[in-house]
Amino acid sequence: MEQTPKTIALVGNPNTGKSTVFNALTGLRQKIANYPGITVERKVGTSIIGGVLHQVIDLPGAYSLNYKKLDERIAYQALIGSYEHEEKPDLVLAIVDVTNLDRNLFLVSQLLDLKIPVILVLNMMDVAEQKQITINENLLSDNLGVPVISVSAKQKEDIERLKNFIATEELKAPQPLAWLESFQIRRALGKVKKEWIQPCTNIPEAAHDTEALRLISEGNFDEVFYKYQDKEKGLSVIKQAREILEQAGENPMAAEVLQRYDFIDRCTKDATQQTTDSSLSLTDKIDSVVTHKVFGPIIFASVLLLMFQAIFSWATPFMDFIDLIFVETGNWVANTMAPGILNDLLVEGVLAGLGGVVIFLPQIIFLFFFIYILEGTGYMARAAFVMDGFMTKVGLHGRSVVPLMSGFACAIPGIMATRTIENWRDRIITIMVLPFMACSARLPVYALLIAAFIPSTTVLGIFTYQGITFFALYIFGIVMALVAAAVMKRFFPSGQQTPFIMELPAYKMPKWDVVFRNVADRGWIFVKEAGKIIVAISIVLWFLASFPNVDEQEYAQNAYDGETIESYQLRHSFAGKFGQIIEPTIEPLGFDWKIGIGLITSFAAREVMVGTLNTIYSIEGDDEDIVTLKEKLINDTDPETGKPIYSVATALSLMIFFALAMQCMSTIAIVRRETNSWKWPTAMFVYMSALAYVCSLITFQIGSNL
Amino acid sequence: MYPLNHTKEGEQVIVKCIDCHCDDVCRLNELGCVEGATGIIISNQKDVIFKVGETRLAINNNIAKSILVSPN
Repeated sequence: MEQTPKTIALVGNPNTGKSTVFNALTGLRQKIANYPGITVERKVGTSIIGGVLHQVIDLPGAYSLNYKKLDERIAYQALIGSYEHEEKPDLVLAIVDVTNLDRNLFLVSQLLDLKIPVILVLNMMDVAEQKQITINENLLSDNLGVPVISVSAKQKEDIERLKNFIATEELKAPQPLAWLESFQIRRALGKVKKEWIQPCTNIPEAAHDTEALRLISEGNFDEVFYKYQDKEKGLSVIKQAREILEQAGENPMAAEVLQRYDFIDRCTKDATQQTTDSSLSLTDKIDSVVTHKVFGPIIFASVLLLMFQAIFSWATPFMDFIDLIFVETGNWVANTMAPGILNDLLVEGVLAGLGGVVIFLPQIIFLFFFIYILEGTGYMARAAFVMDGFMTKVGLHGRSVVPLMSGFACAIPGIMATRTIENWRDRIITIMVLPFMACSARLPVYALLIAAFIPSTTVLGIFTYQGITFFALYIFGIVMALVAAAVMKRFFPSGQQTPFIMELPAYKMPKWDVVFRNVADRGWIFVKEAGKIIVAISIVLWFLASFPNVDEQEYAQNAYDGETIESYQLRHSFAGKFGQIIEPTIEPLGFDWKIGIGLITSFAAREVMVGTLNTIYSIEGDDEDIVTLKEKLINDTDPETGKPIYSVATALSLMIFFALAMQCMSTIAIVRRETNSWKWPTAMFVYMSALAYVCSLITFQIGSNL
Repeated sequence: MYPLNHTKEGEQVIVKCIDCHCDDVCRLNELGCVEGATGIIISNQKDVIFKVGETRLAINNNIAKSILVSPN
């Protein structure tokens, strides 16, 4: 390769190891998992190859350049140089799963038409060796007309070999349409190109063959062509091109595909050797149980129940330990530093706010650990298949399952993952209901309130009421998402239904290094992102809740019986006064003004609620007696009536509010970006917040009257 | 010939004809399910898991009905 900086694009079917190759080449940590559609946007990195720094782009997986989904369209447009600030790639690394070569070469045969140099990378050679698949690379290279190299992307030495191969190969674009033998298809293709695409459109020249073939196959325009003038002429030309094929006895819809597979057969016939084994593999045997119409949904529900029970039980000792560290550090700072504003700010503002959130790090880590295991094994795709029938009934699609499950971790990657849904209606409904899935930011609020107000009594030997409540809240989120989808379905025009067709990857043991690295990354992101906003809010809140100062005389004259000076001070602070203004609005839900302040701050991010409460209760508490937030909530009383502020009904109402309200600015921003409109995020905010208010009201009113 | 959803688990079949919407035909073709391809039924419980080559395809009942196959 010429020693100048180049743009190298990684292209291939979903789940062929593109992101693994990308990570190995660039040293980045792009997420990888065992289900189709994990990469939904372009990822860019750099790699030094042959002493030159090159740009490397990881494109979303695609089965074909005839895109049907947004992620496939992104891949195609990047390849033909449609993006404004991005050059067309100088080299394509076509990554293929060598254990499923014929199917993977279908896309490669389309890449050969784009007039870009291509190197074919036969990945997963380790698995191929186990399956006794042998490839004659030289023969395959001669047949396809592109350089070929075999690698196992997990092996460092193979990546070095790949880099050397790229550096030394002469880059030459392959001959376009080498697969095409049919004279009639060539005639039809030439007609569409010459009479419509070349004179009437500004599509990049490299894409003319691909677009012409797509038009002939589909027989109609999509939105790409509707912007051009002379549409009538275009439709007429396409019709004539299809007639050429029909008169020759060929089916215009299938002619191109069949020709490409014939070409692939010719290329691989002598170049590959594989023992044919028609017996069912372990994956097939597992699938016959896991996707069973009765056992499948039971297994799915059991997996979720076990996951949430484990999160709650296993994380407890670690949480207690972190709690102890923050309490003891707070005590130490309070007793060591000279009393004054800085002491108060550190103990009641920074440490209280941060400690209130970091305590939930073990649960976040366990949650992501389980999600990455489900992704890594390949179970996610099965969950989508098992749930498709049910999801379709409520207005969603089987493909909605993976984004919705991703929503357990965070709504943002879930919303991005909806790009794999072909149908616009299915996609927008999935986006609109996805924030109901209980994301990790809700976890601190749930965990705090459950630990404080739900008994830890054991049920059926292994479960506890706390674990079951935790599970029930997650189920509640799922049910509300499904109900909302069923309602929305009535408001959207039905259009053409997109049936469920999905590739199920083979089951694999998760790559443990990847799982642990991803979990560590997510844990760090949680601490960093939550920490930044929580420390800032805690400091501001500490100021608002600590000033103006009240004097002892005023306290002695106006305080309720038994009210401490700290409580009186808080009640008359800026934050206290603001909280009392909004209190009448939230009182019917069982919330006092302190919770009200927490609700306001948590609209920035849900987990801020816990930090806010911790800061408020630290300011209110006696300096001599630093205890955990849980204990503070249990012991908090109304200074006027002396009754406890929190009851089980209050806790349930608050959890329901958090389960339903749209309290995440980042989610609103990403919905705006994905839908290209403020209409959808606004509608989402309004309907979710209204629903949260009404459901909390009902919960508290029923709960407190029982 | 009979529809794919009328097959039994473990049955080996040849795809004879795919008669559904153009987009779905294209998607099936791209995934290797083309006329003449041979495969084995992994699971058939209304929806079907059909293994063509090394590709396991999860196909819902509506599409399975439109894929006509014959025994291999």
